[in-house]
Amino acid sequence: MYSHNNFIQTELWKGGPVPGQFYNFPGTSQDINAGNITAPGLYGSNRSSSPITTGTSVIGVKFDGGVMIAADNLVSYGSLARYQDVQRVFKINEKTIIGAGGDFADFQSLKRSIDQKMVEDMCYQDDIEMQPKSLYNWLTRILYNRRSRVNPLWLEMVVGGMQDGVPFLGHVDLRGRAYEDDVVATGFGKHFALPLVREQISEGRLLSQSEASQVLRKCMEVLYYRDCRAISKYSVAVSTAQGTIVQGPFEVNQNWQLATLVKGY
Amino acid sequence: MSSIGTGYDLSASQFSPDGRVYQIEYAGKAVEMSGTVIGMRGKDGIVLAVEKIVTSALYEDDAATRIFTVDKNIGIAIAGLLADGRYIVDIARQEAANFRQQFERTIPLKQLTERVSAYVHAYTLYSAVRPFGVSVILASWDEEQGPQLYKIEPSGTSFGYFACASGKAEQQAKTEMEKLKFAEMSVDDLVQNAGKIIYLVHDELRNKDFHFEMSLVSKETKGLHRLNPQPWYDQAVQSGLAAKNEDDSDNEI
Amino acid sequence: MHKIQSFPEYQVPGAQHQDFSPYESNGGSIVAIAGEDYVVIAADTRLSSGYTIHTRKQNKLFQLSEKTVLGSTGCWCDTLALTSLVNARMQMYEHLHLKTMSTEAVAQMLSILMYNRRFFPYYVSNVLAGLDSEGKGVVYSYDPIGHCERTTYRAGGSAGTLLQPVLDNQIGGKDRDVKNKPKVPLEKAKEVAKDAFISAAERDIYTGDSVILKVITKDGITEEEVQLRKD
Repeated sequence: MYSHNNFIQTELWKGGPVPGQFYNFPGTSQDINAGNITAPGLYGSNRSSSPITTGTSVIGVKFDGGVMIAADNLVSYGSLARYQDVQRVFKINEKTIIGAGGDFADFQSLKRSIDQKMVEDMCYQDDIEMQPKSLYNWLTRILYNRRSRVNPLWLEMVVGGMQDGVPFLGHVDLRGRAYEDDVVATGFGKHFALPLVREQISEGRLLSQSEASQVLRKCMEVLYYRDCRAISKYSVAVSTAQGTIVQGPFEVNQNWQLATLVKGY
Repeated sequence: MSSIGTGYDLSASQFSPDGRVYQIEYAGKAVEMSGTVIGMRGKDGIVLAVEKIVTSALYEDDAATRIFTVDKNIGIAIAGLLADGRYIVDIARQEAANFRQQFERTIPLKQLTERVSAYVHAYTLYSAVRPFGVSVILASWDEEQGPQLYKIEPSGTSFGYFACASGKAEQQAKTEMEKLKFAEMSVDDLVQNAGKIIYLVHDELRNKDFHFEMSLVSKETKGLHRLNPQPWYDQAVQSGLAAKNEDDSDNEI
Repeated sequence: MHKIQSFPEYQVPGAQHQDFSPYESNGGSIVAIAGEDYVVIAADTRLSSGYTIHTRKQNKLFQLSEKTVLGSTGCWCDTLALTSLVNARMQMYEHLHLKTMSTEAVAQMLSILMYNRRFFPYYVSNVLAGLDSEGKGVVYSYDPIGHCERTTYRAGGSAGTLLQPVLDNQIGGKDRDVKNKPKVPLEKAKEVAKDAFISAAERDIYTGDSVILKVITKDGITEEEVQLRKD
């Protein structure tokens, strides 16, 4: 659907210059496919105004020599903890990882497009893989495009990986708002996890890999205690120069002894 | 061209009185002119190998490749007209992508073969088109199905194989391959035999120079279709050169 | 579009209706001051929405050429879309005309690009700083739908209304009893710009963390960063 690939095109020379004409940039009014997503049907048109099945916080940190993204394994249905063994962090290829919060159906459909891109990358047989910055920017454009049709993909995503050998970490949301930082988080993670990680990062110094996984563990623990849409099981995607892997699921430490002392509710 | 065909060879949509479709047979001739292409299925992997005839020293080494990746674990080797071949590869990629979009899994090679051969066959039915001048060898490996090998001919017929060949030295390559026990063959054996066969069947007198090209799908390549993978590529070339030297010295005696 | 209230049968317990707004204010301020042969442009590096700070190091100055810098704040996703469009169009101009766009041309183009979205505007506050074809410093400022004004100094963004009177006083000499407006030397322009941000960070929660200051002269562009309040 989003593919503008050489191989998977229906027309032989789509968008290419017709003799005596100028090149039409994709996305301009001449791109007839552009209007179809929100075109009204028989009974008006449908647009997303709220997410349905949702994932909660995603946290990403850069460390010395790589990037880590963590998210718990829950996909909720409103306040119901509906799917409790779902992966929300993914390896895209040997250089790129991604984590998603927000509407999980939107993410699954988007991920299908991303995976197809990776297959197309392989068809070139040149061992060149998409790097995280390209995926990040592509997502920015897709999400901005949908928000501009007032029919957003209800997502908040963290993209990480190795960009030309250097760690990359970025955040994209449902409006196409995007930024890079040494530590990013979505949803409740913004409030609970960011301060915990920022505390560990003294100016200009990155964490080591083990420090990073420890601080992520602490974040997931705090989020489990305080975020009603979080569970105790989480997974971590790691990207280094050696490649990418998804680790887990891990279980956070929990201690409810304190609960017996709480009175007055 | 004096008497063959006698007017029945101008259209793919008409039989000759003795029940032949000449256009398909001519497409077969196009394949026979091509450099030899082989595919071999072993115990836990599959190899494609190509005798890429170098028609000019001005080409880059990797120019005019005949092996393509269609999906993560699916490779195609083409014998015949390269331009037709590339088009078929494009169709195969679309079919693989379409299957993936619908079922969120890689297309089984049997299904891909069916879809592509139906497409090839359609081009043997109408007077407005000509058949594809290619023979297509498809290869895949996955954990569930193991190694798979199919070949589609210009007529649109397709079969599964233990080993198959197309091009100039099809017969000679088949004779060589019939000596081998493929069912028990490891990837290393497969690769060495592929090198051997391509180097042996290459006719130095008619075509001076050629480039050896191969690809591999197996557990060892993490289930990915890889073009000219190391260290297997060097292994294949070495055993190919060794076999050729032995053959040459035999001839001297 | 009908409101959900028009369909009472949809108003059942558990039915939620959350409206999506394509816009979001992400804060940030810009100050630009032009002199005879220079122009200074500065923007803070805080990216926020509501009480949340997303990042403390978001550069909001976009270098468009050797002579032109655009400062853009407001709805950050619109800023990203607009600036990448400007960059693409400037590249097309360069390929077509075999020369870099002049600051005046960029200024005009920016106005047109923004007015193109007159009925679904880029929700951004833009300040364009550069050297004109005579080498003089110049500042252009815009409203979200593309109204463009050429000036010599401007404050924009979330603390724009806070800072503009300060610039009027310090740079424009507007409310001072000065007969001949003195020319502003570069050093003073830089100091005023920095002080403006230090002051803005005291009162505007959407401005802070640090300020990036770019100075454009005929010799090129220099950059410096000054730390601001981080709370």
